[in-house]
Amino acid sequence: MHPSRFRLAALVTLALAITGCASTEVRSYVARGIDLREHRTYNWARDDARATGDPRLDNNRFFQERVQSAVDEQLGQRGFQKTDAPDLIVRYHAGVTQVIDSRRTENSGDCHECEPEVYDQGTLVIDLVDAHTDTLLWRGWAKGSIDGVIDNQQWMEQRIDEAVARIMRALPSRSAREANRDKTAA
Amino acid sequence: MPLLLRFAMTILATATLSACATTATVGSHVDHDLDLSRFRTFDWGPADALPTEDARLTRNPAFKDRVQGAVEKGLAARGFQLIARGDTADLLIHYHANISQRINVNHADSAYVYCSQADCPPDLVEYEAGTLVLDVVDARTNKLVWRGWARTSVDGMLRKPDVMAKTINETVARILLRLPPKL
Repeated sequence: MHPSRFRLAALVTLALAITGCASTEVRSYVARGIDLREHRTYNWARDDARATGDPRLDNNRFFQERVQSAVDEQLGQRGFQKTDAPDLIVRYHAGVTQVIDSRRTENSGDCHECEPEVYDQGTLVIDLVDAHTDTLLWRGWAKGSIDGVIDNQQWMEQRIDEAVARIMRALPSRSAREANRDKTAA
Repeated sequence: MPLLLRFAMTILATATLSACATTATVGSHVDHDLDLSRFRTFDWGPADALPTEDARLTRNPAFKDRVQGAVEKGLAARGFQLIARGDTADLLIHYHANISQRINVNHADSAYVYCSQADCPPDLVEYEAGTLVLDVVDARTNKLVWRGWARTSVDGMLRKPDVMAKTINETVARILLRLPPKL
């Protein structure tokens, strides 16, 4: 395919996707009395593979590695460092379920407006766990329609990056001064 | 520009059609650095842990034979050689077959212009969706280098070996079409 046509095709697909899907919901919570800025280092939990509910994503390293690199980037931007003896362990979980949005069926009258919407809902949960006490300190997640996303690798990678960036936005950022102070103290 | 516009409309039409029709949707993920010309031979490898499988398919010898046959034929056509017993292959292949209950919105209903809530035909149709996932693993590094899949309704198919056989042949061929070309 000619590159410019391909771009056009991609644009059309993207436009379809944006108009077709419900918005992504992003939330997080933090353990009471915890200041995450006191934790400076992190690493990934070992062997974190769990069933996702979708055979396309189970044991899919292309998905797993993209999530990890997106989280690595966001944590790096916030001054967290990946080390072998970390303060924090990072875990994630992804799940896919088909959901029926019946909101539209509640409209009375004309059946044109009471068509329910069915879509694949993807959830990505990111956990930060205290490496020493094994307690959950922070959890952030994003939930939204991913219809057609998994089938298209480029689109999936983009959605992962976006979702992770939005989830991690709620994470307190270590200031440049704090990070520098650590460096000089070390 | 008119040509591009027509092209875009074709895509739109295709996307809309494929959402409603029962033909399989296919997809694939690939290692961005994959160079398939490095690989010559393949063999069937062990499956992963975490299998999301359906016994009606995976414990059905006819299903297994048919999938393996279709994959071997498709890979041979792409220039990959099934390894002789006892030799080590460049690529290891395995697959997962899964069936899940899914719901479809029946958009054909829009044809009924006016109906009150009570006499509207049902909008939601439940069906069994079969997903076939085909994994290609680099035997040397034991890493997944390519995964392709197809998902389609398998309603009625489980009791009709002929339809099943035809569907398997067609979907495996479509999945393998997505393998990157050998450079």
